Amino acid sequence: MSTLLQKEARMTTTCPGSDSIQGLPGNKGDGLERECSRKPDQKPLKSYGVGDPTAMFSSGSPYLSSRGSVIKWFWDSAEEGYRTYHMDEYDEDENPSGIINLGTSENKLCFDLLSRRVSPSAPLSGIPSSEGLSSLGFPGILPPESWLLASVAPALESGGPALPWGPRSLPLGRLSQSDMLQVEPSLLQYPDWRGHLFLREEVARFLSFYCRSPAPLKPENVVVLNGCASLFSALATVLCEAGEAFLIPAPYYGAITQHVYLYGNVRLVSVYLDSEVTGLETRPFQLTVEKLEMALQGANSEGVKVKGLILINPQNPLGDVYSPAELQGYLEFARRHELHVMVDEVYMLSVFEESVGYRSVLSLERLPDPQRTHVMWATSKDFGMSGLRFGTLYTENRDVATAVASLCRYHGLSGLTQYQMAQLLRDRDWINQVYLPENHARLRTAHTYVSEDLRALGIPFVSRGAGFFIWVDLRKYLPEATFEEEVLLWRRFLENKVLLSFGKAFECKEPGWFRLVFSDKTHRLRLGMQRVRQVLEGQPQVAEDAPPRQIQEPRGPHR
Amino acid sequence: MRDQALRYRSIHTQLMEMVLTLRQTVEDHITQLTTRPQQQDGQAIREQEALLGRLLFQIVSFLPAAAQSFQPPCTSTDSRGDVGGGQPVQTSRQMGQMFYQESDFENTVISYDLSNRGIDISALYHLSFRDYNTYQGNKYHKDKNTLGYINLGTSENKLCTDLLAERLSQSDMTYIDEDLLQYTDWRGQPFLRKEVARFLTFYCKTPEFLDPENVVILNGCPAVFSALAMVLCDPGEAFLVPTPSYGGFAFSTHLYSKVKLIPVHLESQVTEANGYPFQLTVDKLEQALLGAKIEGKKVRGLVLINPQNPLGDVYSQDSMMEYLEFAKKYNLHVIVDEMYMLSVFDEAITFHSVLSMKSLPDPNKTHVIWGTSKDFCISGFRFGALYTHNREVASAMSSFGYLHSISGIAQYKLHQLLQDREWIDNIYLPSYHFRLQEAHRYVTRKLKALKVPFLNRGSGLYVWINLKQYLDPCTFEEELLLHRRFLDHKLILSPGKTFMCKEPGWFRLIFAARPHLLRIARRRFQQGLVEHEQERRVKQLEDATKEEVSTSQPETPASPALRKS
Repeated sequence: MSTLLQKEARMTTTCPGSDSIQGLPGNKGDGLERECSRKPDQKPLKSYGVGDPTAMFSSGSPYLSSRGSVIKWFWDSAEEGYRTYHMDEYDEDENPSGIINLGTSENKLCFDLLSRRVSPSAPLSGIPSSEGLSSLGFPGILPPESWLLASVAPALESGGPALPWGPRSLPLGRLSQSDMLQVEPSLLQYPDWRGHLFLREEVARFLSFYCRSPAPLKPENVVVLNGCASLFSALATVLCEAGEAFLIPAPYYGAITQHVYLYGNVRLVSVYLDSEVTGLETRPFQLTVEKLEMALQGANSEGVKVKGLILINPQNPLGDVYSPAELQGYLEFARRHELHVMVDEVYMLSVFEESVGYRSVLSLERLPDPQRTHVMWATSKDFGMSGLRFGTLYTENRDVATAVASLCRYHGLSGLTQYQMAQLLRDRDWINQVYLPENHARLRTAHTYVSEDLRALGIPFVSRGAGFFIWVDLRKYLPEATFEEEVLLWRRFLENKVLLSFGKAFECKEPGWFRLVFSDKTHRLRLGMQRVRQVLEGQPQVAEDAPPRQIQEPRGPHR
Repeated sequence: MRDQALRYRSIHTQLMEMVLTLRQTVEDHITQLTTRPQQQDGQAIREQEALLGRLLFQIVSFLPAAAQSFQPPCTSTDSRGDVGGGQPVQTSRQMGQMFYQESDFENTVISYDLSNRGIDISALYHLSFRDYNTYQGNKYHKDKNTLGYINLGTSENKLCTDLLAERLSQSDMTYIDEDLLQYTDWRGQPFLRKEVARFLTFYCKTPEFLDPENVVILNGCPAVFSALAMVLCDPGEAFLVPTPSYGGFAFSTHLYSKVKLIPVHLESQVTEANGYPFQLTVDKLEQALLGAKIEGKKVRGLVLINPQNPLGDVYSQDSMMEYLEFAKKYNLHVIVDEMYMLSVFDEAITFHSVLSMKSLPDPNKTHVIWGTSKDFCISGFRFGALYTHNREVASAMSSFGYLHSISGIAQYKLHQLLQDREWIDNIYLPSYHFRLQEAHRYVTRKLKALKVPFLNRGSGLYVWINLKQYLDPCTFEEELLLHRRFLDHKLILSPGKTFMCKEPGWFRLIFAARPHLLRIARRRFQQGLVEHEQERRVKQLEDATKEEVSTSQPETPASPALRKS
């Protein structure tokens, strides 16, 4: 069974766009919403688990090397889910009974902003940034913010196609404005493999500003490549020997397993988190230094050499963020054990509730071990461009930067794309005045819609106001608390034409959790939720063994 | 005894290479410090310091290994074997730690942070891309930097960037669709795979339509090759590769996949068995395969580049068939790299793609690579494609789509480019071939004038030239010195050693550059040769004088005996 199960599990992780999963769901305000429908008879589980991708497949091939067969298995398992969805993709006009994808973490809310050609008009007054477009020689091309927000909000409300610009009808946009179209011959030639200097400079400036770093970040600490997946691969290779491992709190974005395995042959040791709040914890799935210590010891006792710790912040799939104090604690833990820390901040600008108080690790005054702290960011999530393939590493460790850059020949991105990225990132006015407010407003609206729907259904969930997803507790819908039942439920959703991601794909140790992506257009979201509801209403609920705890009041927002 | 001498020679070469690099770096460093004081070039300077540190470290860590090899000749073969095999990386690490403690270099010198393979990757990269990085930091520019390097070493096509820049700026390129910005098929956007299949069907003249499902698209041919090595070989297994051969393979197979390359050495000398220079024969393939087997190596495949790099030659259809039959006989995969297939500029030459064959001996083990970097002058675009009939290989390769993906926007532009047959056939290819011919004619004429022998072939962006006459003695050390000489004259060529050529003295010269650049390069080339020759004469004279002196005195210490042995 386990083969099938794992296969399916992986399928959801990867299926409709595997790379997409990093972010966090958000919940309104600081509120933590949860109920616990946990079975008391659940057996105690190990606090950690050492992943072993090779255990998941069996068949060899006359054509492939043995590692090639494992590699192929990764694809096949992804392919299966991919096909199911892509052969029957929902389309409002052409395939209204197709599958709605609430499984892939992609932001489909702001494509119009990126794609729309903003008409030349008077520049905005009161632009705070000194790097205004006009100073760069571009005409003022921004529409008044108020107009934009006003026009979008009702469109979202009504859910209709009321957006004044349809993506299909206006194919030109921010990415196709005149400043994006330059084709310098030098962009067509081999670049500096770390990324063109103009882009690295822009990334350093961008991160200094948005991560609120105490001192300006340096372009020489930046390496640019084609997405965070590649970055995980390269870091695993240059930091670990084959067979060594990274710690990672679970549930986590499951595709990382593949990223660090393919080339690096590096394993992940899951630090299992618990939905139940015990001891000094203040919220479900809370990561503590004790849990890290236990997992590290456990792995060591099994002879697994751990070289680093991966933290995703804002978290995927939990939609939570680590407080600066917590971060310090984890970083101190890593320093004590001489572990590298890879902080994946790919959802850093997708925190749509101000009150969440997200802080980048780069904003900390003093890093316990700056030489072993490596930060990752990309435009996939925050700018809704998962197809653009741009990711970046920031590390003060020159050896690590150099070693990763040595692999960039294999993970480079087109010079033209680099140019476009630099143009996009330097356009602070557009980002601050137009894009971010709009994006956050839309995320909030979509999140409110889904969370209210869930609340009406009496379904507990975790979500704090960051990312594109809600971590939903469907344990009461499983007749038995097993991953087999979890897959069965997932399949029922798929049969009813809605795709979710199940918890096993995130290495969650408790069966019954699902990740639901809400960053989609209203009409699709509404239909998707309707289909979710249909399945759940037809599903017998298991009598609660224990009285379900009611939504727990947040015990102090961990700022 | 002969082994010992060879070993000594190889250590000597390595050490010398290191010292020369060090010298070069120190010089650059000083130039930089003196010529551009107080600019914001702090980064470049720090990087050079780091590089200096790394180089010193390499040398220091190399010495003990080298010292162990200088055991008295009576040492048994066994113990020598040990020296060679003993984990060099480990040694270098330990040495590094000692060195680190005694130096004031910051942790740029050696890192405790990297894994052994990480250190290895960094070091190999710096060694392989040293010249390239030098060039990147100090490029020739006709107005701004007339003293900068001219790079005729990197096979990059600069002849038609104007045409491409113009084509890529046209309005049909700017389209952006939601799908382009989202996750898609990791094997490549379906529309692009379809176009690639159509494109290859047409330009490779395939007997049947190629199937888009057999196409996997990644960000560049190095990525395709690297991923192929992963899925076809386990660590330590090997590919056969006829040499001289494009050095990037060695780099690609080593970095990630730890696959070995076993050279099938070809010879320039024309003999009975060798109908033309550097001819590849099944005999030679079999010998190499056998040799590898005797050494206990597991060979999984054969790599062929066609049109050949650096020879500029193409394989005839018959020869290709023989190689494929050979591979089938020994159950080997064949990877055919057809990167330069549209860069055949001599009309008298017909290139036959392996995909044009009516029936492949072993279609499930024949894998073809093509990309736009060379044929379309867009190496910065990062696009490479695999065509394979083997679905298992295609699936396994697709897993790497995550790690080698291309922007949807770039994929769209590539699609637009490849589908524009009219532009390609009527504008691009004719101009491209004409410019290649012109540049080739210019370069070969100058080479003839300089009495430099070369292989006169009609494809690729390069000529394979023979500068043996300037080496005295004819060793790889001397080849390296000559290479340095060109560098002194701010000209970069690729020495034969980087192509695993067996004979010292060959260089690859890229001619796909604009005329004015070629003219300056020619001057520098000539200056380099003249200066090299002059110094050689002076040295000969000195040696002769010394010899006279020494012969007049009876007892002389047997001078550099080792060198001769």
